[in-house]
Amino acid sequence: MLEYGLLAPTMFAGLIAFMLIGFPVTFSLAALGLFFGFIAIEIGYFDFIFLQALPARVFGIMSNELLLAIPFFTFMGVVLEKSGLAEDLLEGIGQAFGGVPGGLAYAVIFVGAILGAITGTVAASVIAMGMISLPIMLKYGYDMKIGTGVVAAAGTITQVIPPSLVLIVLAFQLGVPVGQMYLGAIGPSFLQLALFTLFILGVSIFQPHRVPALPPEARTLHGAALWIMIAKGMIPSLVLIFLVLGTIFLGLASPTEAGAMGAVGSLILAWTHRRSSWAMIWDAMDSTMRISTMVIFILIGSTVFSLVFQGVNGGKWIEHLLTGLPGGQIGFLIFVNIFIFFLAFFLDFFEIVFIVVPLLVPVAHALDINLVWFGVLLCVNMQTSFMHPPFGFALFYLRGIAPPEVKSRDIYLGSIPWIILQLILVAILIFWPESVTYWLGADAVLDDAAVTQTLDAIPMPELGLPTLDLN
Amino acid sequence: MAALLAAASIIDRITRFFSIIAAIMVLASCMISAGNALSRYVFDISSNAWLEIQWQMFAAIFLLGSAHVLKLNEHVRVDILYGGYSARTKLWVDVFGLIFFLAPGAILMIWFSVPWFETSYLEGEMSSNAGGLPVWPIKGLLPLGFILLLMQTVSELIKRIAALQGEITLDVDYEAPLQ
Repeated sequence: MLEYGLLAPTMFAGLIAFMLIGFPVTFSLAALGLFFGFIAIEIGYFDFIFLQALPARVFGIMSNELLLAIPFFTFMGVVLEKSGLAEDLLEGIGQAFGGVPGGLAYAVIFVGAILGAITGTVAASVIAMGMISLPIMLKYGYDMKIGTGVVAAAGTITQVIPPSLVLIVLAFQLGVPVGQMYLGAIGPSFLQLALFTLFILGVSIFQPHRVPALPPEARTLHGAALWIMIAKGMIPSLVLIFLVLGTIFLGLASPTEAGAMGAVGSLILAWTHRRSSWAMIWDAMDSTMRISTMVIFILIGSTVFSLVFQGVNGGKWIEHLLTGLPGGQIGFLIFVNIFIFFLAFFLDFFEIVFIVVPLLVPVAHALDINLVWFGVLLCVNMQTSFMHPPFGFALFYLRGIAPPEVKSRDIYLGSIPWIILQLILVAILIFWPESVTYWLGADAVLDDAAVTQTLDAIPMPELGLPTLDLN
Repeated sequence: MAALLAAASIIDRITRFFSIIAAIMVLASCMISAGNALSRYVFDISSNAWLEIQWQMFAAIFLLGSAHVLKLNEHVRVDILYGGYSARTKLWVDVFGLIFFLAPGAILMIWFSVPWFETSYLEGEMSSNAGGLPVWPIKGLLPLGFILLLMQTVSELIKRIAALQGEITLDVDYEAPLQ
């Protein structure tokens, strides 16, 4: 355990201690890095010059085109939340599905998936859907544990469905193309929707009183009027999905540009709904600036930490610890997923992606794990960080917008079945990697096969010829 | 103390001014990026300058915004213990953190990045891409951003000490920022 010196393990323990103090994470990380940096210089791990790499490291963050997607997708999410699109979608689809038991819950899952395919941030979906659907569910006698749970979970799907911001940030950390991450997430997105729908189906069969159908007087739209309402939500959604996802998959735009186009599209949509005002746009700009700054600064703090941590052989130490786990690939994946599931109680996904994931990448490499599979797996797992009571962000947003009759207890208890469903998906992905890799396309598979063939083919004759000569 | 608090309030206004520039960069970079993607496919026009201005604006967002985010108490914390502290303990944690965590980090960053910027400035460093933009101004944002952050550190320290002495009341409620 201590082959790589005492400093790396101490630093890792210090990481936990420094963060628990409660001072902002980015500055605690940087302080920890510098503190251990000076100890390491004293001991002789590296010279002072080593730390002078810091401005260049930060410049690497400043000039990274992919990270530019963070403000764009955040801006898009903030504008979209206020654009009225979620209202239109839920009104039409809610009325169409409302007549069957659990119909409103199906509508929320379906709309959550559409919003997920448009935007990359969770807050926008949860807030917009919760504000509309919770009062209706309350009025017609839904069990609020199911009601709040389905809104939080359906909003959280956004994180897995492309163009998720989490997938972009993970791609950046894993060093794989964003497009590959998006393709890999397609299968899990559908699996997750299927799991959620089956759960509601189960509830509606065995405990129908918890998810009653809407009475006829609540379904005022019929025939053409209903179709027009649905179209009013679906047409702009499909246009936005094309602007963002379509342009990425067709290779017309980089993920960053697609985020920018989605943001402009959302602005236009808000304008056509007469929801836009200079005050609203300014508000969106200001809060996007604050969120992006907060996120990028976590990355800057982590950069200071990891520069020093690598300098004291921390990377080798972690690799040594984790490659030695029993069970090879599967053992490592199970360990990592349990570890991240528990971390997600305390840390949000940006912190996990920026601080923890870089430590795991070399190990995944060493164990020959497909990094896209690994990334999608982590992404699904980190969804639970939005759903953990009591700090999960999705629950936190719901607490803010739920009608006063909804108890916090209901929100917390309601999240548990959905967390279990998300963990079931994690298990499915671990034991059925094809659910991710199937979508990666023939190119990637062919390439892998070609590489293996070349590797197999080359050494054989070279090794064979000298032996022949000797004979 | 009154004079110090007045100084803190001036610092707050200076950093707010820079954060407004940062917020404007959000919309500006977004429009440029969308416009650039469109013009590339519709008119087949693109230039490295327009591509580079995007990440330069992105860098401006977080470097110029950070001090104001500190003032708003929106840099994310792990609040599992912190959330349960009394208001006074929270103030002490912040005083400790500002002095021992943030200030040394910011000073070291300024100390490293000023000569780093100076080299670039003296060379008149340009982008290596054809038709690219000068790089040295954006490198100057790194020391500037951390100088603003250090100024804000001083301002926050003044306000927290004043609050501990009962001269002002400071809202120390922390809510994890929305994302």
